Amino acid sequence: MCFSLSCSGHNPVNCIIPPYMLQVLALRGDEDTARMARSLLKQNEQVRDERAEHARAGVPPTDLLSGAFASHALSPSGQLCCPDRRIHDGGFKAALPGTLIRSEGDDPCGVDDADLAYDGAGHVFSLFAEEYGRNSLDGEGMPLVATVHHRRAYNNAFWNGAQMAYGTGDGELFRTFLELSVIGHEMAHGVIQFAGGLIYENQSGALNESIADVFGSLALQRSLGQQVHEADWLVGRGILGPGVNGVALRSMKAPGTAYADDLLGQDPQPWHMDHFVTTTDDHGGVHINSGIPNHAFYLFCNYLGGRSWELPGRIWYRALQSLNNPMASFADWADQTMDAATDLTGRGSIETVLLRRAWKLVGIGF
Amino acid sequence: MIIEIAAEGGFGGIAAAASHKRIDVDQQAEPMRQELCEAFEPDQLALLADKPCTTCADRLTYRITVTDSQQHSQIFTIREDQLPPETLDLIDQM
Ligand SMILES: [Zn+2]
Repeated sequence: MCFSLSCSGHNPVNCIIPPYMLQVLALRGDEDTARMARSLLKQNEQVRDERAEHARAGVPPTDLLSGAFASHALSPSGQLCCPDRRIHDGGFKAALPGTLIRSEGDDPCGVDDADLAYDGAGHVFSLFAEEYGRNSLDGEGMPLVATVHHRRAYNNAFWNGAQMAYGTGDGELFRTFLELSVIGHEMAHGVIQFAGGLIYENQSGALNESIADVFGSLALQRSLGQQVHEADWLVGRGILGPGVNGVALRSMKAPGTAYADDLLGQDPQPWHMDHFVTTTDDHGGVHINSGIPNHAFYLFCNYLGGRSWELPGRIWYRALQSLNNPMASFADWADQTMDAATDLTGRGSIETVLLRRAWKLVGIGF
Repeated sequence: MIIEIAAEGGFGGIAAAASHKRIDVDQQAEPMRQELCEAFEPDQLALLADKPCTTCADRLTYRITVTDSQQHSQIFTIREDQLPPETLDLIDQM
């Protein structure tokens, strides 16, 4: 391919493949291509450092995918059936995955966090399988591996490219991470990765975060059978510590209002592009500016009424599957959702008009 | 040697989400002292900080300051996925 023809044996700095394309190759290429792309990015970076032209711009995060980019879920697999959950106890250590304590079909093991992780993974699997025809996170039935009791007093949860991990919280800032919108958020990072990925910085990173919040919230709403007006649209409700002044970590309905606390500070999320936060922290504010596309999704659901995991969720899911742009901006994503809405409801439909209105209201116009 | 560690980011994206830690390595008993010296050796940290990201979503970022006996400080910004589990366990014990 172009990659090897153009670069092998040449000074990679003079390679005709621009850095953004290397980032995409590193994210989506097969294992060999991804390795070469990362290596070239790294050499470019070293040269940049040597020249000291910039104050270390850094290499955008890259993901190593085990296989080629593929979109599976627009044509549901015939095998689509059942989750294969494997919940481990990390023993408050950092090594993953830890000791297997509950496998698929086992009775509850009595470890609360493990049973919550098991049940939560089931709800999220069921959302993607039954509503969107996706067989697990990779679309090919991969096992749902999770570790609870990850590290000691650990204030975090994450998806590491292959599994979920949940801390217990320190009891002060956070009391748990085993709440369905959080579990759905982490698992959605897996879906996003296998759908082609969104580079985890700046606007594409904030989209990665927002899409994870959307499907986390939809998993929760669906499990509770809530219509749009019955849902609280909170991400991480009840996970904050007992002394923290806040209801959740984020609010899709009212970004910026989830908490205001002496220790945690004020929820920094904007809901409109006028208040977009430019920062180098948090990978360029990925957990901050996600408030903007989060709110657009909420508005769209609110205009439509009914069950948000149905048409709105299908539109967002279809847009994710067909995005094919790991560096997408908010405007690119808005376009993609418009295309998906047109595909599903027809050109000029009331749904597409309402979606356009939702994007416009958060400052992303057409 | 003094090690100071601050954390930010993670699922919450909150700067305060992890506590700030400070430890005087020379005051630690063995084998902890030796383990800390090895894990936070500046050249080693610099190498780890260069490791490419595998998947960065929701990972914590540590800002690690190592100050030697001559009061010379070096600062490293390292994501938790760049640190070996043994080093993360050490941080949790600090
Ligand atoms: Zn996330």
